[in-house]
Order: sequence, then C-alpha cells, then structure tokens
Amino acid sequence: MIDISVKKVLSIDLENKEVAVKSFSDLNKYFGGTGLGLKLLEIYKDKSPLIFSVGPLNGFFPYASKTSIVLKKDGAVEDIYIGGSLSTRMKFSGIDSIILFGVSQEEVILDIQDSAVNFKDKDTDPALLGLPGKKSGIYFEGDKLMCDQYFTTPELYLESIFKEKNIKGITITGTEIFSPKNFDDYKKLYSEILDRKPDIRVDSAEYPSCSGCPMGCGKSKVGEIGGNILLNSLVACQFADKIYTDIGVVFSCLNTLGYDYTHEDIENLPKLIEDTIRNISK
Amino acid sequence: MAKILKPTQINRCNGCEMCIFEAQRQLKKVGLEDSLIRVFRKKNPETQVMEFELEIDPRINILDVEKIESICPKKVFEIQEEPKND
Repeated sequence: MIDISVKKVLSIDLENKEVAVKSFSDLNKYFGGTGLGLKLLEIYKDKSPLIFSVGPLNGFFPYASKTSIVLKKDGAVEDIYIGGSLSTRMKFSGIDSIILFGVSQEEVILDIQDSAVNFKDKDTDPALLGLPGKKSGIYFEGDKLMCDQYFTTPELYLESIFKEKNIKGITITGTEIFSPKNFDDYKKLYSEILDRKPDIRVDSAEYPSCSGCPMGCGKSKVGEIGGNILLNSLVACQFADKIYTDIGVVFSCLNTLGYDYTHEDIENLPKLIEDTIRNISK
Repeated sequence: MAKILKPTQINRCNGCEMCIFEAQRQLKKVGLEDSLIRVFRKKNPETQVMEFELEIDPRINILDVEKIESICPKKVFEIQEEPKND
C-alpha cells in the first residue's frame, strides 16, 4: 500500500551499484515534483544528482500526468517535464523521487520494480524488462531519449546527462495500490475534475495520450520546461493550469486523498522554493 | 442477460488508461495491480506508429461496464449482450 504520510526517495549510486530507500517526513512541505526535486538537489548538490519526481496528485487525478526531472547542467538548474505513463508507474511503485548519483563504470540499464533495482548490461533489450501493462520505459532511440517509445523532453539536457552518467535506459514497474481516505468523496471529485475538459488549454486529438489524461493532444509529445511552481510541484500538465493553480481545488484533492496539507502550506510553497533555489546557487 | 464489454474499436485507443482507473475505482482502489483491464503499448516497427492492445478479464462483468464504456474518450468499447447458453 502506498504511504502518502512521508516522501519516499529511491537513491541509486551508479558508481558502486548501491541502492537505498529513504523516507523523509520533513520534506512533505515541498509537496513533490519540482518542489521536492529542488530540495533534494539542495541536499545532495555535491553529488551531481539527476532527480525524477512525481507529485501528490499523479496517478490519482486526471490531467496530472507529467514527471518532473531536475538536474544541474553547466552550473544552471533545469526543470523539465516528460509525459507518458512514467508518472503513474512511479506513483504506483510507491516512490516520490528517484535520485541517480555518480557515473556508472559501464553502460547500464536500470530495471526498477517498486523499490528494487536491477542493474542490467547495455546489451539487454529494455523493451523486454518490467511487467507488461504496469511498466514504463525511458531509453534511447538513436540520439533521443523516448518515454514509452513516443514522449520526449525539450532540449537535450536529459540525453546529455544520461550519456555523462552512462545510463542507457530506465524501466519502472509499479505494483502498489492506494485507497483514498474517503473513497466516495474521491470518486466525486475525480469526476468533477474530469468533466472540466473545456478548461484544458489543448484540443482533444488522435495522438498517444499521457496516462490519466483523456486528451490525446499533440503537445504532450515534446514535454515541458520551466513554468508555474505549484503546477510543477503537483506535476500537473501546464495546459491544466486553470484547474491546478486553483488553491481551493488543489486543497480538496489533497485532503480527499488523506494528505495533511493546509491552505497555508500551498500558499507558502513558492517562497520555500525561492529559498531553496537561492541555497543551491550559493 | 449479462452485459459484456468489448473493445471493438481498438485502433482508436490512445493509451490514456482511463478505463483501467475507472475499473479500479469501482473496486475501491487506485493502481494497476490486479486490474481487470490491461493496456499494452507497442510501436509498430514498420509504420513507427504507436499501437495499443487491450486485455479484458472476463470478470469485468462484475463491474458497471457502462461507466467504463462512457469514460473512454475515444469510444473504443461497445457493450454487447452475452449470448444465452441453452
């Protein structure tokens, strides 16, 4: 069962092939996604981490379908977002963030199932790893990293850091489940948010869709970069900003799931992130 | 007669997995484990187009299949009457 009372971080030391799972209750105020990713970057800034994070609503509510990636490239902090099914698989693995430290001695493919990590050699076919229907994969097709063989990120930051760290690909399988505190309220709120399709700033189309988003839009293929800190900490789609920048809606979603956040926690997030970025830059 | 859920327009599927999550919600859980619907994605090596396959557990009939049919944004499903066994 997924534990939402703490932030659970899977750290992977590529050089020594060591894995640790840590639970941080004191990081709850960073929500998740980019908020949590930036705080982890501050904590581990000397270890050149690459951080994947999901937010508290990923997998639970519609249009919250992206995964946040925080990294430092040439001294600058970058936050980029990728679509597909990665965020739901991370959520259902019970992990809020995955941190990749150091450089692997040889090219490696990481096969993650829930909190367990297998280091596979470069000749392994990543498409054959993980449990069908419960996995997502991000690996190179030519020079571009593709999630689910379709979704990419803007620029080439992720490709560059994967090459630096000698990572050829990552597969994630999530097999955990969750039962919201008040299921009937959760179902009602889910339907209300799903019905707000007209508020989504993209047209419904015929492209592959992110998991948990019905739109099938043409925009999600290339991911996102930067943007609103609340949206990015929830890791909701930027085109769902009319829904997920509304503090009342966000509070209701969090509360229904059983998170212990207040309106003030949501309002204080931008200041916390600002301070974190300042500390990273010191 | 029992109603059965059939993915008659699978070529329309966009892989959003809304059907999985609806089925799981009816079972009072969120996640992919023990889901009665599974979605598989695969890029066609010839056309390079993403294609989806659906696997539906026959026990799906215990759920409200009309709700599952209606949540699909691409109208992939059809509800059919289960043939009567004589």
